[in-house]
Amino acid sequence: MTDVSSQRSSWQRVGDFWARYGFAISLLVPCTIYILFFLLIIAFYLIQLSLTQRVSLVETQFPSVQNYIEMAASSEFQDAFIRTLAFVIVGTPLQLLAGLVLATIINRPFRGRGIVRSVFLLPVAIPSLVTATIIAYMLFTYPFGHVNDLLLGRLFLPGVVQEPVNWYTSPALALGLALFAQVWRDMPISMLILLAGLQSIPADQYEAAESMGASAWQRFWYITIPMLLPAISTVLILRSIEVWKQFIFPFIIAPTFPLLGVLLDHAYHNLRNPEMAAAIGVALVIFILITRWVLTFGTEKVRAYLVKV
Amino acid sequence: MSTAEKAVEGRRRSIDWGKIGWAIMLILAILAILLPIYIMIKTSLADRASIVTGGLYPEPLWPFAPNFDQFGVLLGKGDFIAAGLTSLLVAVLSVAVALLLGVPAAFTLARYKFPGIGTLALVIIGIRLFPDIASAIPVAELFLKPPLIYIPPLIQVALAHALLSAPYVVYICQGVFATIPKDLEEQAYVMGASRLRSFVSVVLPVALPGMAAAAIYTFLLSWNEFIYAYYLLFQSTETTLPVYMLRLLTWTPQRNYLAALAVVLSLPVILFTFLVQRYMIAGMTAGAVK
Repeated sequence: MTDVSSQRSSWQRVGDFWARYGFAISLLVPCTIYILFFLLIIAFYLIQLSLTQRVSLVETQFPSVQNYIEMAASSEFQDAFIRTLAFVIVGTPLQLLAGLVLATIINRPFRGRGIVRSVFLLPVAIPSLVTATIIAYMLFTYPFGHVNDLLLGRLFLPGVVQEPVNWYTSPALALGLALFAQVWRDMPISMLILLAGLQSIPADQYEAAESMGASAWQRFWYITIPMLLPAISTVLILRSIEVWKQFIFPFIIAPTFPLLGVLLDHAYHNLRNPEMAAAIGVALVIFILITRWVLTFGTEKVRAYLVKV
Repeated sequence: MSTAEKAVEGRRRSIDWGKIGWAIMLILAILAILLPIYIMIKTSLADRASIVTGGLYPEPLWPFAPNFDQFGVLLGKGDFIAAGLTSLLVAVLSVAVALLLGVPAAFTLARYKFPGIGTLALVIIGIRLFPDIASAIPVAELFLKPPLIYIPPLIQVALAHALLSAPYVVYICQGVFATIPKDLEEQAYVMGASRLRSFVSVVLPVALPGMAAAAIYTFLLSWNEFIYAYYLLFQSTETTLPVYMLRLLTWTPQRNYLAALAVVLSLPVILFTFLVQRYMIAGMTAGAVK
């Protein structure tokens, strides 16, 4: 029944809104509610758990900051934090470098390029657990195995060590292996981001530089890198977040030198202390956010500086 | 680059070091990537003498007597078959849930612009900011308490996997729907079909390739997923393949057996990757936007 007056009543406006957007909303709502539900659960439950102290196997006390105090004071946490920080600081540029190398290689047109690109994507197709297992149980084994054979000179190359290397007693070696495996596994992702950036650099820039006598090296430094900066900063920010979240590689390859993620799992499964694990989780999220802000801020500064130059 | 090469060639007949350097890098990169995969395959085919050397001789680069025995042992084990079927079931379930949730949402995000839609998109993507290992704890605790404890563990894992992949499904399908002209569904609507009908019967079939890509991406994510499966199935008798592999590792198994399991775990993924490489790229750069 149409209203004679020109004003629409509130109900009619609701009806109009629904007629116009109702279908769209009903399509969107399930997904949003699902994700929102879990997002809120995860955030609140994590914080609530971390503020609960486990007094005994069945008793807990809430609220309490005891978890955080214990955590910050414990040497295990501090060691794990330093190890993870080193992991991130060394690992992120390595990821960038590996991705940059691959992207530069694949950027040049050649026959069979499609197949080679599929090959370059293989590392990310293999489950992380499998990659970690190959590295730890099939390649870098002690005292025998392929890599030790190679280093001892038992394969075609001359030896460089006298004794087989035990990869798992030294934190530098074990974590280095975990880092190497992780970089290997994720480098296609960096490659794809950087490749997109590389392909957006107009070719005439290079031609102009060449006609002015610039060498390949100069062209790389003064054209490629500056124009690639947005992609580089994206890779740095995203990959650094991912390295903080690393669990599988350190867990399998270097369990005796726990990183924060491994420590979290240790608290949950071995110590049966989900509350402490939650506290570590909250700390981890905070570190991730700090890193993200620092890097975003830092790359903006670098970009502003280079624009002036 | 080719202009430069021609210019160089015209000026003097010298070796193009740039191209040689590039070719070397190409070969090294291919070798570096294929090496672990080769090691995995060759170890799975190895006989005992090839892996237990006792230091008397270097481990051979190709087994002395390659055989498929380990695969036979693996396929003969009931619990392996069970784990494989479980992984399959969970993956299919998670694809169903993720698509059911994500495809309609993607359609809305592609077509409509009403206030608040930007923040909704952010929420959907934002779930990926949490480390899996940290978010697994509240999810596991949540599912261990009533009422959710009554959901069968496998469905719990499938729901968790759907949660992980829904953002990617939304991202991929949104791109696909954006390329489908509005006229298609407008036509159907004008001819009397309801909005729902025009969506299902007209738009979805056209979007099928993109949806297939999202489905495959979700399947692979679920098949490979370790952390949530590990946490949610910790006290259960059921396992998925990655959890099965982890439990196997604690028994320090024979390397060739382990490698056979690794091959079986990786093979579907590698095959799918080669088949759907184009769509994977779209999915992975979306995954980078966590």
